[in-house]
Amino acid sequence: MAAQAKHDWADDEDLEDTTAVVTELPPPQKISNKDGSTTIIEYRYNDDGKKVKTTRRIRFITHREVVNPRVAERKTWAKFGQSAKDGAGPAGDTTTVGENIIFKPSANWRKDAKDEVNDPNAQAMKDKLKDKKVKCRICNGEHFTARCPFKDTMAPIGEVAGGSDAGGDDLGAAPGPAATGGAGAGKKGSYVPPALRGGPGGGAGERMGGSKYGERDDLATLRVTNVSEMAEENELRDMFERFGRVTRVFLAKDRDTGLAKGFAFISFADRTDAVKACAKMDGYGFKHLILRVEFAKKAQ
Amino acid sequence: MRPILLAGHERALTQIKYNHDGDLIFSTAKDQHICAWFAHNGERLGTYHGHQGAIWTVDVDPTSTILASGSADNTIRLWDIKTGKCLKTWEFPTAVKRVEFNEDATKLLGVTEKRMGHLGSIVVLDVKVDVDAEQNDEKVLTIVCDESKATVAGWSYLSKYIIAGHEDGSISQYDAKTGDLLYNFSIHELNQPIVDIQWSKDRTYFITASKDKTAKLVSAKDLEVLKTYVADTPLNSATITNKKDFVILGGGQAAMDVTRTSARQGKFEARFYHKIFEDEIGRVRGHFGPLNTVAADPTGKGYASGGEDGYVRVHQFDKGYYDFLYEVERERQNKQA
Repeated sequence: MAAQAKHDWADDEDLEDTTAVVTELPPPQKISNKDGSTTIIEYRYNDDGKKVKTTRRIRFITHREVVNPRVAERKTWAKFGQSAKDGAGPAGDTTTVGENIIFKPSANWRKDAKDEVNDPNAQAMKDKLKDKKVKCRICNGEHFTARCPFKDTMAPIGEVAGGSDAGGDDLGAAPGPAATGGAGAGKKGSYVPPALRGGPGGGAGERMGGSKYGERDDLATLRVTNVSEMAEENELRDMFERFGRVTRVFLAKDRDTGLAKGFAFISFADRTDAVKACAKMDGYGFKHLILRVEFAKKAQ
Repeated sequence: MRPILLAGHERALTQIKYNHDGDLIFSTAKDQHICAWFAHNGERLGTYHGHQGAIWTVDVDPTSTILASGSADNTIRLWDIKTGKCLKTWEFPTAVKRVEFNEDATKLLGVTEKRMGHLGSIVVLDVKVDVDAEQNDEKVLTIVCDESKATVAGWSYLSKYIIAGHEDGSISQYDAKTGDLLYNFSIHELNQPIVDIQWSKDRTYFITASKDKTAKLVSAKDLEVLKTYVADTPLNSATITNKKDFVILGGGQAAMDVTRTSARQGKFEARFYHKIFEDEIGRVRGHFGPLNTVAADPTGKGYASGGEDGYVRVHQFDKGYYDFLYEVERERQNKQA
């Protein structure tokens, strides 16, 4: 086995720039060193026509290994068949080296592997949810909001406070939770809707001056169901305009087919108009279907 | 460890065999040639041409002089390992699914398929381990398996018994001289075929691999089940490693179901079990299809696996493999030291 003796890498190759004139190259030199290594100095011209001096120090280390003579003999066999034309050594078209595989036997292999699989997903999620409890947004009970027994009679805590401020009166919500609503919204760390940020007073003020969304939903909006597929928004608008100023008509349509889904929301500017429209239009025949009109429930 | 990938076959591998010294690997596939490889670097020594059908099985004599192969072209052929020449062809009425030399390579057994009205059988042929010798045409012995066809068979220690694995999950022990059936035990689930039998170094016990997702270590003398290794996938092959007390199982989803599963679900891994404790101790992935055959290097330094994907992967174990010991093994070692 040949191995390069250890010495400074900078000594490995000495590049000597000479003129491009081709001159006779000095003969290669071989020097035997005291430590048993050999120094070989060679000269050649590189592609640019420059003379290059290469100094190599080589040490031969003999590594003895006892090899089965039969095995050694077989290694000298000539190749045959489809490999007859292959040169010495593995041929690239039949032999390749695969990617490194880490294989470490382990007594509790099955357990190790399982932990590995679970770690990134389940374990992190578990940690995150460890001290979380299910809490109802309506009554703070330990159940999902959708399962709350007070779902129909109460609105979620935070919204009750805001809603009663904005609407002033006539909201079906019980006045009780309003007080707790403020506290709930102010609780540290939990999400507070923008409308409720900065306390009930500020939220209400913003609401009054700014967006119209707060009023529209619960005051004078009618929900119309059993609407024909062929219905158009302007048809509905025409029908409901008779009772008062309609601020918005929303007809749910299928995104793909463009056909009406069968329900619509009509918002009136004035709640009394809406009451009138609700009474008159409920049961009205429209495109072979009997409309059902009611006040829209507050979105939860 | 870095496996060496051998791409000498265009079709699914059927069997891999190491020679006795562990320096040559022979591989057969459903394409029609046998490949010989050097185990240490994956260099191909050559290919053996002559079969006209899928080659199901190969075996090499202990001196690495001659090679036997069985094929779907209804022949067993004998080859000169060194030159690749075909020395002898025996014809049979049906395909040959398994060939095996006995310990001194004076006899060769072949398992023939049950098909076209012919019953499955185990035939024994006289062979001479000599490239120039005239081989005998006559069968020495024919064992007809009239109940359930034999799928695999092998020679026990001292060529005393012939052990066969059957399609119905049973194993039989035949007297190797007379061909009499001595025992037949159902060791695997009924009608789950035994698809591989490989011997321990001294041929006193062997390992079976079955489609019932288990491999069993069975003694040759009385067919006693010594150990059971339970996998989670149908097995195609099992082998016993030397030096370390492990067994390697290969299997995976049946080839016909493979397209319906991803590589991860397919369980296309070589599974290592501890031979004594029956625990699974690790897996080696790499194949794209089920492993059809695994073979352990007789020197205990590595193993090779052949898959439905047409590749042979030759692995050389690294340090972690040799260092692995159970706590009890380590204690015993410390006590002895």
